Amino acid sequence: MCWYPIRSSMSTAILDTNPVPQRILGRCRLWATILRISIQERIVYRGDFMLGTLMRFLPIVTQMFLWAAVFAAAPGPSGGDTRIVGYRYQDMVAYYLLTMLSRAFSSMPGLASGITREIREGGIKKFLIQPIGLLEFLFFYRVAHKLVYYSIAAVPFAVVFYLCRGFFLHTPHGWEWAAYIASLILAFLLGFFLEATIGLLGFWFLEVSSLLFIYMLLSFFFSGHMFPIDMLPQPFYTIVRMIPLQYLAYFPSAVFLGKVQGEELVTGLLVQAAWVVTFMVLAKITLQRGLKRYSGFGG
Amino acid sequence: MSAIEIRNLSKTYRVNRKKEGLWAAVRGLLRPEYEVIHAVRSISLTVERGEFVAFLGPNGAGKTTTLKLLSGIITPTAGTATVLGHVPWKRENAYRRRFALVMGQKNQLWWDLPAAESFRLHQQIYQIPPEQFTRTRDELTDMLGVRHLIHRPVRELSLGERMKMELIAALLHSPEVLFLDEPTIGLDVVAQYTIQQFLREYQTQKKTTVILTSHYMKDVAALCRRVVVIFDGRIIYDGSLSSLVDHLGAYKIITIRFANGTPAGDLARFGQVILREPPRIKLRVPRTEATEIVRAILAQYAAEDVSVEDPPLEELIATLFTSAHCTAEESLVPSPLHSADH
Amino acid sequence: MTSLRQYLLVFGTFARNSLIRDMTFRANFIIEFFSSLSWVFMNLGFYILIFRYTPSLGVGTGWGKYEFFAFTGTGLMINSLAAMLFMTNADNFGNFVRQGNLDFLLLKPIDTQFIVSLQRIDWSSSGNFFVGLLLLLYSLRQMNYVPSAVTIALYIVYMICGLLILYSLMFMMASTSVWLGRNETLFDFWFYIVNFARYPMEIYEGRFGRPFRWFFTFIIPVLVAVNVPARFIARPLKPQTLQDWALAGFTIVATVVMLVLCRLVFLAALRSYRSASS
Repeated sequence: MCWYPIRSSMSTAILDTNPVPQRILGRCRLWATILRISIQERIVYRGDFMLGTLMRFLPIVTQMFLWAAVFAAAPGPSGGDTRIVGYRYQDMVAYYLLTMLSRAFSSMPGLASGITREIREGGIKKFLIQPIGLLEFLFFYRVAHKLVYYSIAAVPFAVVFYLCRGFFLHTPHGWEWAAYIASLILAFLLGFFLEATIGLLGFWFLEVSSLLFIYMLLSFFFSGHMFPIDMLPQPFYTIVRMIPLQYLAYFPSAVFLGKVQGEELVTGLLVQAAWVVTFMVLAKITLQRGLKRYSGFGG
Repeated sequence: MSAIEIRNLSKTYRVNRKKEGLWAAVRGLLRPEYEVIHAVRSISLTVERGEFVAFLGPNGAGKTTTLKLLSGIITPTAGTATVLGHVPWKRENAYRRRFALVMGQKNQLWWDLPAAESFRLHQQIYQIPPEQFTRTRDELTDMLGVRHLIHRPVRELSLGERMKMELIAALLHSPEVLFLDEPTIGLDVVAQYTIQQFLREYQTQKKTTVILTSHYMKDVAALCRRVVVIFDGRIIYDGSLSSLVDHLGAYKIITIRFANGTPAGDLARFGQVILREPPRIKLRVPRTEATEIVRAILAQYAAEDVSVEDPPLEELIATLFTSAHCTAEESLVPSPLHSADH
Repeated sequence: MTSLRQYLLVFGTFARNSLIRDMTFRANFIIEFFSSLSWVFMNLGFYILIFRYTPSLGVGTGWGKYEFFAFTGTGLMINSLAAMLFMTNADNFGNFVRQGNLDFLLLKPIDTQFIVSLQRIDWSSSGNFFVGLLLLLYSLRQMNYVPSAVTIALYIVYMICGLLILYSLMFMMASTSVWLGRNETLFDFWFYIVNFARYPMEIYEGRFGRPFRWFFTFIIPVLVAVNVPARFIARPLKPQTLQDWALAGFTIVATVVMLVLCRLVFLAALRSYRSASS
């Protein structure tokens, strides 16, 4: 992640003494510049991206065979339609594919480590004097990154999903599509603010990497990335339902598959949104406190 | 039998213009673009046992490539060479036990471990008997004055100390032939001097056959009597250093420090003024007229100090290159970028 | 006169030097050690979950819960040895070849493939080996099975074959970086391929499964690496069928073929080796 020098002509447009509409316009122009530069940076790796993305689906092939074997021997009504925690075999495969999609939204590679690096190396100083906030900058950089990623990854994703269309026995109806997309966007926001907060802990702990590692580990296991959370026995199931990790991978997939319906769906989205707000606030507070602490040391 | 015999050795590279990324790599396989580089062009050379030879030449001339060919690291495109009767690029264990290569600013010792551990590994790989190993190691560390440092991790040593350790590692198995590729590059003056002295003493004692490549004339002048000048992959001079100097030394440099300030008169009539730092003057004069000119100046002016020297070695060699370059230019055919489809 | 004894001594020094080095970067070592352990435990958790919902993997395959754990234990042991002994070296080899830093290794009077393959040992992967062993012992106990000496011997032999097959694949892939350039994606590829071998080969059934299984048994024999030794130890109650013995025999052949191929590719890579320009 590199920090681009912000042209001074731009920053004069964002002087706080200007009237509000002009300020907003200036800020939008600034964000557009950041977006443009970040997108340019990403486009260069197009071919590699596509191949890499395609290869990331390979472990799902193994999972497909594994679950086929599991379902074959699992006790259930003869004549097919065995269900494990409510999932048919096809649902299970669809679940994994959907989790890949959710992860494409909620995973933030390099976010936390980038933040800690800037803190450690002093690059964070910029944000004490520049008018743009760290979180805003990172956010739009990340949006740009994701947009480019989606535009290129869309091809391999579309290919895989098309080839596997036979596994999607259930698709959302009507407004459930909107709910699904909302859950994906919320997953992105949650992932962003969660990882940003962890990265910002770098103001207090020098080596956040171990913390990050634990987060990654727990995230992989408890976000539903490895298996549907429904499979967990009590009391683990209840505990995991209380932490926000499920909204990074499990929840959107469950919405798509119709595992969460009606009232439960609305509640789920609200809780997801609540977690987003929580971490957004947490991130902002952490940043403020952290900068205060940082400048207290003389930089 | 000579130690090293090279006959018409050539090495040509085809450099692929590769770009980063798997996508580009796949495309590169299907439609490669390449450039041809002649690193070594049909060189022939004989080195007798116990000789200390210097390879001189600008960057990219082919000195290092030649050493790598003689070490068996790369295989030639054409020609033959034998070192101690072995063909180097066959990479026979018997050959590898008898020679050593040291490359300046390149480490073969384990970075995070003390040099002593790397030495121990060396002993095992080269199968050096324990008493001989201990004796040689102590001898070498004493000669270079690094005995107290061998238990310090290599990364904590200075550049000069690291180089000394590399030299020791190379000499632990008492090689009969030693190849040194810019061993003193990047080192401070003291370290350079120490290593030079060490090499001279070591070679005199052990009668090792040595080929040294260097940019530093001090190394060359201090250590070797025979110089091989390589330019653009070819040997353009092979002989003693003194006759090279004589051959090129058409001029001498006269340095005079005048007693009463610089004389007002025009000194240019005596020779080419190359330095005017009152009260000092440097003149460049034809060799044969040097003594006459000195006499003439001293007859007219009072001088505190006079010296007559050869031009610096660097200048001589540089002239050699430029003249070689001029004659080579007619034969130089620029190599265009080829594409594989013809 | 390089003898087996010399090679063993040198290997011992490699192991020792690597350990010293790993211990000087203790924090890193501990992190790596525990991260590979945690990964293993997560997967075990997943497997335990699966067996709450099914008695075996596939119908009539004989891979029940403890048989499968014995399989996993075997896989852990083989993979941890591959990671300890060869992974860092394969990675480094790819880099050396591309950046021209192989020079010093080519000067040594000892087989280059030997040095390249074994000079760095990654001790932080050793944890998985013991977890695998414990898992195996635990499963055997749960199955109430004490294998005979012959079975144990054969098991060890086939584990070594599996290890050598993985080694050959790894180094053939690393060698190709001479011709193909950057090898990062190649190494991701390695993990994906090995991923297929994490489960008994019987799960690869059906229209796509069977050819898949055939390909990864006979063309790129990753599947035999763990499957064959695991079968010896984990399906003791079923009499060994002719098919099992045929597969075992094939494994020996495959090991030899892969090693020879690897050697040839390695030597070819050395011939194309360019060495960095000065």
